[in-house]
Amino acid sequence: MRLLLTNTGSYPRIGETPEQQEVRRTIAARERGERTAEDLEAAEDAGVRAAIEDQVRAGLDLVTDGQIRWYDPISHLAGKLAGIEINGLLRFFDTNFYFRQPVVKGPLSRREGIILPEFAFAKSVSPKPVKPVLTGPYTLARATLVEHAPYKQFKPLVHAYAECLAPELEALAAAGAELIQLDEPAILKHPTDYPMFSRAIEFLARHKGRARLALYVYFGDPSPLYERLQKLPIDVLGLDFTYNPKLVNKIVMGGPSKALGIGLIDGRNTKLEDIKGIAQQIDRILPRVHAEFCYLNPSCGLEYLPRDRAFAKLERMAAIRAAVKGMTK
Amino acid sequence: MSRAKLAQLGIELPLLPVTAVGSYPKPDFVARARSDFARGKITAAELQQLEEKATAFWIEKQEELGVDVLVDGEQYRGDMVAYFAENLPGFHTGGLVRSYGNRYYRKPVIAGEVKWERPITVTWWKFAQGLTKKPVKGMLTGPYTVMDWSFNEFYPDRKSTCLALAAVIRKEVEALVAAGCKIIQIDEPALSVRPEELPIVIEAMHFVTYDLPAYFITHACYGAFEHIYPQMLEMPVHNFDLEMSNSSLDMLALFRKHPFTKDISFGATDSHSHIVEPVETVRQRVEQALEVLPKEAVWLDPDCGLKTRTVEEAVGKMRVIAEAARSLRG
Repeated sequence: MRLLLTNTGSYPRIGETPEQQEVRRTIAARERGERTAEDLEAAEDAGVRAAIEDQVRAGLDLVTDGQIRWYDPISHLAGKLAGIEINGLLRFFDTNFYFRQPVVKGPLSRREGIILPEFAFAKSVSPKPVKPVLTGPYTLARATLVEHAPYKQFKPLVHAYAECLAPELEALAAAGAELIQLDEPAILKHPTDYPMFSRAIEFLARHKGRARLALYVYFGDPSPLYERLQKLPIDVLGLDFTYNPKLVNKIVMGGPSKALGIGLIDGRNTKLEDIKGIAQQIDRILPRVHAEFCYLNPSCGLEYLPRDRAFAKLERMAAIRAAVKGMTK
Repeated sequence: MSRAKLAQLGIELPLLPVTAVGSYPKPDFVARARSDFARGKITAAELQQLEEKATAFWIEKQEELGVDVLVDGEQYRGDMVAYFAENLPGFHTGGLVRSYGNRYYRKPVIAGEVKWERPITVTWWKFAQGLTKKPVKGMLTGPYTVMDWSFNEFYPDRKSTCLALAAVIRKEVEALVAAGCKIIQIDEPALSVRPEELPIVIEAMHFVTYDLPAYFITHACYGAFEHIYPQMLEMPVHNFDLEMSNSSLDMLALFRKHPFTKDISFGATDSHSHIVEPVETVRQRVEQALEVLPKEAVWLDPDCGLKTRTVEEAVGKMRVIAEAARSLRG
């Protein structure tokens, strides 16, 4: 069994040093008309490089681009699709972070790569493999306001988003993504929608090409859905352990599991985890997993933390791995 | 309806009283002074003088526009949680995290036992109230929101953190009441973030407001209220200040199913758009509200604080609300 270290998605795009504030400054200057789109792209490129450098320096095996270019995890993706306009602010789950709500005005379609160019850039500058992360069709649909009659019933909207994401998965796999991550936090809030959710994930799994597919759920306790999530045709299941202290027991008691993304590192609080305590929990989980590897990662994206703490959390993951018994690195 | 409570406190208000949620934008000279102060270029006294000048500007502007229940505009505050954290032992200033888009704030860290040592907001409230005969609201952030918007490295869990903060905020409420403040707003914008925790929010608010002679308002916004309505009506306050316009008045549908039983400060303009809505749009929103809410229970204000707008936009948004109110009082 190998325990690999990965990031769950975002990384803080601001820190305390002037270089770490360049993206913010450039966006503000561009709004005032003092910088160009090319200036912003250059600042974001530098931000992505720095985010990757931090992850590599902390010892991660699989990195993300930190979502440095994202306005938020909803409008950044939905806004690239035909048929969508972007509206007012809404709270993103139980965080103090706000996203802009997509409004569907017509049939949805993918007219260009959604995160494909971002992935290509990150891959070209990273010494470690890069994991592209997409918000899944169910969560996108849940965040969307519908003003187009055929989508008034929720199910066709979920399917329409899935149909837009399918070619993106294919393109990401063809561009060299070894593992593609879909984020579906919203399903934890609406477990009765599970049948339509699972159909959308099954549909997308048929479009993953040569890549492996990870599904991450967070911002809630996954226990009520755990058994059903295990049955999905995905390769990695990422879970948030911060909402239910008994989740480890559930996994240990629940029998063999597929490869897990173990979100035992709290991506929402600055307090650093106890190395021994977390390592012991991982020691209990790993024998129950039927796979060659698991991932240790934060419970969610890291942009809810200040930059220095986000980096400290990544370093802590490496220290925890070193304390896990019987581990081949 | 809490007109009786207001009468008991000696406060007379017209129908559809106009108020603001809390913050107004800082004029350039305050924004500059705050950054100069942070760099050690000016003294605290010099900064305060400019903050007082800006507060006086907003009091005068609100009177001119016909606002009925005023706010001091929070010219001396940064973020609504960080401001209290900076003034309460037990908190550390945290690093920057993103709020939305290109906006960031310093999220506080609870690093030890939180204590109340002296009044935080009373001097500013007295200053503002001294400039006007109209009532000025005391403005605080509620314990649940302070808990939810801070990192916690000290208390064992969310509930114990929230209740410890409630004891601290109660002391500030008592200090405002002792100073003569009769309308106190305790904001809980995090109210709906975890519906299963609503009982904790309510318990903490009881602790803060219990048996005190004041009219209490709580503000909430950008939440999934459908998951906590009508249970949220159990909050021990007289008035709920709610964002309505940004969400296309969605909540009115909930009120049709289950009557809204408190006074409401009805968010009649979107606080996060640069566009000042025409008076007619605001009027129509209020007319829709009055189909389901009794007129005596409705106050009017923007969806949320206006600090992210320009001074002109903020004045414009308050003006259209005041004009709509006048035309609908009839």
